[in-house]
Amino acid sequence: MAADLGRSRRRAQPSADEGSAALGLSTGWAVFSYLISGMIAYGAIGWGIGKAVHAEWLLPVGMIVGMAISVAYVIHRFGRQGSVEQQFGGAKGTRAGARGEGNDR
Amino acid sequence: MSGEVRVEAAAGCHIFSGCGFPAPGLENFYFKPLFTVGSFGFTKPMLVAVICTVLVLAFFAAAFWKPKPVPRGIQNLGELAILFVRDQILRPSLGRKGDTYLPFLVSLFYYIFLMNLMELIPVIQFPAMSKIGFVVAPVAIVYVLYIYLGFKNQGAWGYIRNMWPSGVPIFILPILIPIELLRFFIIQPFTLGIRLFANMFAGHLLLTIFMVATWYLASLSIGLLFAFGSAVMVLFVFLLELLVDILQAFIFTTLTATYIASSLEPQH
Repeated sequence: MAADLGRSRRRAQPSADEGSAALGLSTGWAVFSYLISGMIAYGAIGWGIGKAVHAEWLLPVGMIVGMAISVAYVIHRFGRQGSVEQQFGGAKGTRAGARGEGNDR
Repeated sequence: MSGEVRVEAAAGCHIFSGCGFPAPGLENFYFKPLFTVGSFGFTKPMLVAVICTVLVLAFFAAAFWKPKPVPRGIQNLGELAILFVRDQILRPSLGRKGDTYLPFLVSLFYYIFLMNLMELIPVIQFPAMSKIGFVVAPVAIVYVLYIYLGFKNQGAWGYIRNMWPSGVPIFILPILIPIELLRFFIIQPFTLGIRLFANMFAGHLLLTIFMVATWYLASLSIGLLFAFGSAVMVLFVFLLELLVDILQAFIFTTLTATYIASSLEPQH
């Protein structure tokens, strides 16, 4: 029983794929957050200016401009080959990997 | 009308008996207080939260009250529970240095998992995380810790500087600052919480709809055939929710680990 558990514990150590999965999850939600933020931030600015100058059409224009800025920034930040690993500093897709830390117990 | 009252009213309601389908809705998420203290009403979701907290505390206390070098009984289970969080969530994001945060992540993961799992436990049958207030508390804890660790490890100026977008021309920065500020302070915590809340809300509603439909369709008519189909869907949704419960706890804790990692080290 103890030997089985020992084996299962050794198997349970994380691989580079698991690190990449965590990184991918984090990156995916960061991209989603940027896209929403751009739309809301510039939509709000457009709405505010539109309210002041009585031009309601500035709200959708602001939202589209915000979305465009977000898309451009997401491509700049996450779009290049290996840029995600560079940003999080891990050669294998994990921050831990970048620090040269093993996953042994 | 609260959820319980509506269920009682619909108890004798079947197809072809003259009453319409008592479709579950928002009222299924509101409960009459179990007891009141002044103007404060203690409701079923609060009881679920207390039960989950006590269960997590009791389980790990029982497992590690007197730990032995060679684990036996419940200590085995406790070690497996901790090793799962450590090896699948903490180490991939934080490495060995992140072991300091293992107790926090273990508590968070099993608390959220149990809160979600309560929707599948007979009699209780309610995921407390489908009430937004119960999601706001863990999100607030995680976010306060995230910002505190950022300031502590990078210094106030370093933390603010690292929040700035890197590798972009200086005249582009003012364009990106509103997006960064909104993302960091509003959208990121919002998406962290709303994902958990929406999944549990939708799952509970779906399960309730098929359960009520099975009861409503069960009569000595062709409805019995449809009731069987609905009962199969209950089983399917039940198994799906089991997966969603663990997956949502896993995603929440994994994102917490990556947030902590980004506070310990700048991302740029």
